[in-house]
Amino acid sequence: MRMTGDAADDDSSEEGDGRHTRMLQGITGMPSEAFEGKKKRKMKDDGIPELYPESEYNPSRDVVDGDGQISIDDLLNPLQDNPGFGKLRKRIQQIENNSKAIHAPLRTADQAKVERKAAYEISKKEVTKWQQIIQRNREAPTLLFDENIDLGFSTVGAIASEFEPRTEFERKMAALVSDDKVMEAYKKDGSRLLEMNTVSVEEEKDRQSRIAKMRSLLFRHELKAKRIKKIKSKTYHRLLKKDRLKTEYSKIQMDPEVAKEFAMKQERLRAEERMTLRHKNQNRWAKRILTRGLNSQDEGTRAAIAEQLQRHSELTRKMHSMKDSSSSSDGDDEDAGSDQDMGSKVLGKAIEKTMKVIQDDDETPKSGLLSLPFMRRGLEKNKAAAIEEANLALQEYKDSKKKLENSVGSEGPEATSISGRRVFGASKTQISDAGNKVKSDYNYGSSDSEDDLRASKNGNIETQRSNILQKDVNTDPVLIQEDTDNHQESVFKDFNEIVKNPGPKTTYEVSLFVSDTWKKAGNRDEKGTNVKKSAMPSGSVRQDRKDTEKEVEEDSDTDSEGQMVDRILTSGSKLSYELPSQEELIRQAFAGDDLEDEFEKDKMEILNAENPEPEKPVLLPGWGQWTHVQKKKGLPSWMLKEHENAWKKREEAIKKRKDAQLKNVIISEKLDKKAEKLHTKALPFPFTSKEAFEQSMRVPIGPESNPATAIGALNRPEVVKRPGVIIKPIQFEEVNPHEKPEERRGDKHRSKKNKGSGGRSMKKTSA
Amino acid sequence: MKVKVISRSVDDFTRERSQDLQRVFRNYDPSLRTQEKAVEYVRALNAVKLDKIFARPFIGAMDGHIDGVSCMAKNPTQLKWIFSGAMDGDIRLWDIASRRTVCQFPGHQGAIRGLTVSTDGRMLVSCGTDCTVRLWNASADNLMELSNSTKNSVEPASVHVGKNAYLAVDHQWDSELFATAGAQVDIWNHNRSEPINSFQWGSDSVISVRFNPGEPNLLATSANDRSIMLYDLRMVSPVRKMIMMTKTNSIAWNPMEPINFTAANEDGNCYSYDARKLDEAKCVHRDHVSAVMDIDYSPTGREFVTGSYDRTVRLFYYNSGHSREIYHTKRMQRVFCVKFSGDGSYVISGSDDTNLRLWKAKASEQLGVVLPRERKKHEYHAAIKKRYMHLPEVKRIERHRHLPKPIYKAAALMRAMSDAKKRKEERRKAHSAPGSVTTQPLRRRRIIKEVE
Repeated sequence: MRMTGDAADDDSSEEGDGRHTRMLQGITGMPSEAFEGKKKRKMKDDGIPELYPESEYNPSRDVVDGDGQISIDDLLNPLQDNPGFGKLRKRIQQIENNSKAIHAPLRTADQAKVERKAAYEISKKEVTKWQQIIQRNREAPTLLFDENIDLGFSTVGAIASEFEPRTEFERKMAALVSDDKVMEAYKKDGSRLLEMNTVSVEEEKDRQSRIAKMRSLLFRHELKAKRIKKIKSKTYHRLLKKDRLKTEYSKIQMDPEVAKEFAMKQERLRAEERMTLRHKNQNRWAKRILTRGLNSQDEGTRAAIAEQLQRHSELTRKMHSMKDSSSSSDGDDEDAGSDQDMGSKVLGKAIEKTMKVIQDDDETPKSGLLSLPFMRRGLEKNKAAAIEEANLALQEYKDSKKKLENSVGSEGPEATSISGRRVFGASKTQISDAGNKVKSDYNYGSSDSEDDLRASKNGNIETQRSNILQKDVNTDPVLIQEDTDNHQESVFKDFNEIVKNPGPKTTYEVSLFVSDTWKKAGNRDEKGTNVKKSAMPSGSVRQDRKDTEKEVEEDSDTDSEGQMVDRILTSGSKLSYELPSQEELIRQAFAGDDLEDEFEKDKMEILNAENPEPEKPVLLPGWGQWTHVQKKKGLPSWMLKEHENAWKKREEAIKKRKDAQLKNVIISEKLDKKAEKLHTKALPFPFTSKEAFEQSMRVPIGPESNPATAIGALNRPEVVKRPGVIIKPIQFEEVNPHEKPEERRGDKHRSKKNKGSGGRSMKKTSA
Repeated sequence: MKVKVISRSVDDFTRERSQDLQRVFRNYDPSLRTQEKAVEYVRALNAVKLDKIFARPFIGAMDGHIDGVSCMAKNPTQLKWIFSGAMDGDIRLWDIASRRTVCQFPGHQGAIRGLTVSTDGRMLVSCGTDCTVRLWNASADNLMELSNSTKNSVEPASVHVGKNAYLAVDHQWDSELFATAGAQVDIWNHNRSEPINSFQWGSDSVISVRFNPGEPNLLATSANDRSIMLYDLRMVSPVRKMIMMTKTNSIAWNPMEPINFTAANEDGNCYSYDARKLDEAKCVHRDHVSAVMDIDYSPTGREFVTGSYDRTVRLFYYNSGHSREIYHTKRMQRVFCVKFSGDGSYVISGSDDTNLRLWKAKASEQLGVVLPRERKKHEYHAAIKKRYMHLPEVKRIERHRHLPKPIYKAAALMRAMSDAKKRKEERRKAHSAPGSVTTQPLRRRRIIKEVE
């Protein structure tokens, strides 16, 4: 509903008033006086004098007040005759009864402003719904953006079940595999598979053609081999040889015949090696290197030497397994190695073999390289040496056999199991070394091989080996005894060392301790006497220990020493023991010590160290002067000034120190520059306290100090995303603000995916 | 007698496959590892140094435009495609993987000022100073066909001609509406030739418009009268206006926090605002030494990239006052537009030197397939770096960047100026009656007023 005329007439002018009257006349049909009279009456009531003469040009107050306005009744009256008047009247009455004032509309600009304000409020409210989600995401230790990605099948079975044959081959295979008959036959026992496997003519033809193809291939291969044989390149052939050796080796493993042949060859090589000792640092190169010292060589040379030695040891090692005749029995022997009469058996066998070797070696080749005269001569020489060696070995075997028979039956398994060079372990050599160290006044019992032992010292390794072997076999009880002796001696030595070296030291410490407790430290003379005192009993102890050779007491030697020293010292102080008061005691204890002075001195030292005194200016001749003609007047003034300034600065620095006013305190202000690197200058931003900051770095998060299950959570980055996955903007979801993050993790649809601690998924990704 | 022996179960020491790693059993008792903290500190130091060594952010340039690149748009469905518009009216589609132009969209007569792609990736909208808005069919199938055929240019699906030049365009998320900015803000539908709605508030032209991706009915614009305005399509009216001391060149909404947006300002700073409280910026991101021309948020919402008139691209955390990274090359000129890739791991910048440049979002990140062990190592390094980042040595190495000389000098100059200003203010405060001189925080200082 709109207000029309009233508003416009609010500010009535004179003409307006005239018009108004005229209009009233026109409408009501009454003369204008009637209206004026009305006004008059009113005026009289009020009793206010009029300033202007009453006329239609001077609007009366009634008009101004709106009393003279047209009412709706005025408008309605002439309509009384018309039909529907009653209805109209009723309505108007209704309107009048509950009428309200309606304001004027605002300017459009203001109106828009109000609208915008309201709209802003609404949209603010709308947007606020995100608050919880945003807060949750910000507080989350990790945002996950790599979820809900369909990776397809997860298991092999699932992938296989989806397999569909596409190519022709695949289809053929599928037809065969899924054939019911085949499946059935396969499931039963497979005998029907044979029946089904009938060969047709075509298949036979196929086979023949295939064989023909293979033949042609073979032929081509032969041609190729011929061509290769003609190649003269050494490297090529070396490589070829390497290859061949490889294949041979594999053949040996497969074929016993070939293995036998190989064994023979190896045997010969080994024999040669034993005769010539070619790889035992005999050649000039190796000798030269050894004279120069192995340690000064480079790595390659050392490796070469080592390799050579290795080769030597390989070739000279006795191998039973290669001999086909004794392989099985040897194995049995080894199995029963702990038997009592094992040693004799083995020795007997060894003798047998050596004899055989000596007899066998007679035959010489009649043709080939070995039949050449110089070769034959060399061979004979070698053979002679070998026979000699064999004889020697034979004798040794016999000797040892005798010993074995003489010796007590309870021998260690280590000794008995020895039947060749191969099993000769490192521990034995050690023992033998130890034996060499032991002085010769130790009795070896009834060992006949003493001479041999001497010989072994000469450096003949071959014989030494055998000797040691023999000794091991022979003199086990002796060895044990020797061992214990050796041990005793070493312990004894140790003890001697202890007494010599750390003995005085320990006493010194003890004395220091004593002097610390009972007297002021720094009294050098007393300390000296203490040391002397303690040295004396330790010496006696040493003598005692030398006399007694029992191991039992040796453990407690140092302890007893300490006790002794203590005893001596305490007995000295106990003599003048009274019961003085605490103060007196302290005074007595520190009598003659000027502690305060000492402290002062210490403090000054520290002060000087931290704020060093400036250096005294020194005049260098010729410096700071123009010519020698100039008369020297001592130090230049600027130097003096600088020096003075430096002094002043130092004094100020000392005054500013924290402990400047504190008499009995030293507060060091030395800065550790290296340690400073590990501290921040100020508390970093997100932290509110130093403790919290330190706490944040306290527990290590590395894989060395945390189990694998915990590392993932500890090291998880703030944002986990996968490269190549488009991240979509956030979408709204209801969040319960009172829910704990732990509870949220327990949600059913999230529990599977959220592995991490409090990880939040954005759930808005697409592959 | 009790005999203690070490017993080990075979299962614990047997590998299932020969490729499996041998299990290592450790005693995690901290008393046995007293030096662990020191070790980790050194590791953090080394990790930071390694980061420096491996920092090779620049991947490549995409060359082809013959005028400065003014705007870019990423396809929300395709990671490797990006559209770029140039000042000469050339629109190109680039394959980022091969760094080649896939096709061109000829038709515009003047500079392209705005490009945007619908959420489904089917419709490309471009507008420019030639007073036209063009819609192109940019669906993947269509473009693939084109790239296979010899002809590699596209005809516009429709052309709408307006009265004034258009300066910006942006598409609403997941709908058919898009908004253009120029003399006024117009809201268009794909299927209508006339704007379905227009808003005008003030007489200055609007230079940028951006829809809120999280809350699609909200959009923000910035105008030449230095104002930032918010609109709500549901209310069919502008909502709020805020006037700053300098013009805002571009606006980006945080895709993960729909109430927050960041404004790239002409004064070289970026201002993050809460749309509900425009009287104060949430954070002021400083570091650029010249006007910031464009800004784009990472889809993770945790960082954003800015391109500046000072010829650099910078990366900021959403809540940090200073940039975490600066990218520059000798040949890169004024940067007019920047975009984060859809997966948040690359940044693309378009500059005055007619090139688009592809950068890694993390300078030292390893590209390609990363094995799980490698990934774990990277994660561990990141974790210890984060842990010890406050220690001076680590901080120093991490923060150190080599800057081009002009930028270094300009930054020093700006610092000197701001220091002087601060000093002066302090003195003024010291010499006047207490409380009579107040200083506004930087977050509020640049805001003139909020208009209702």
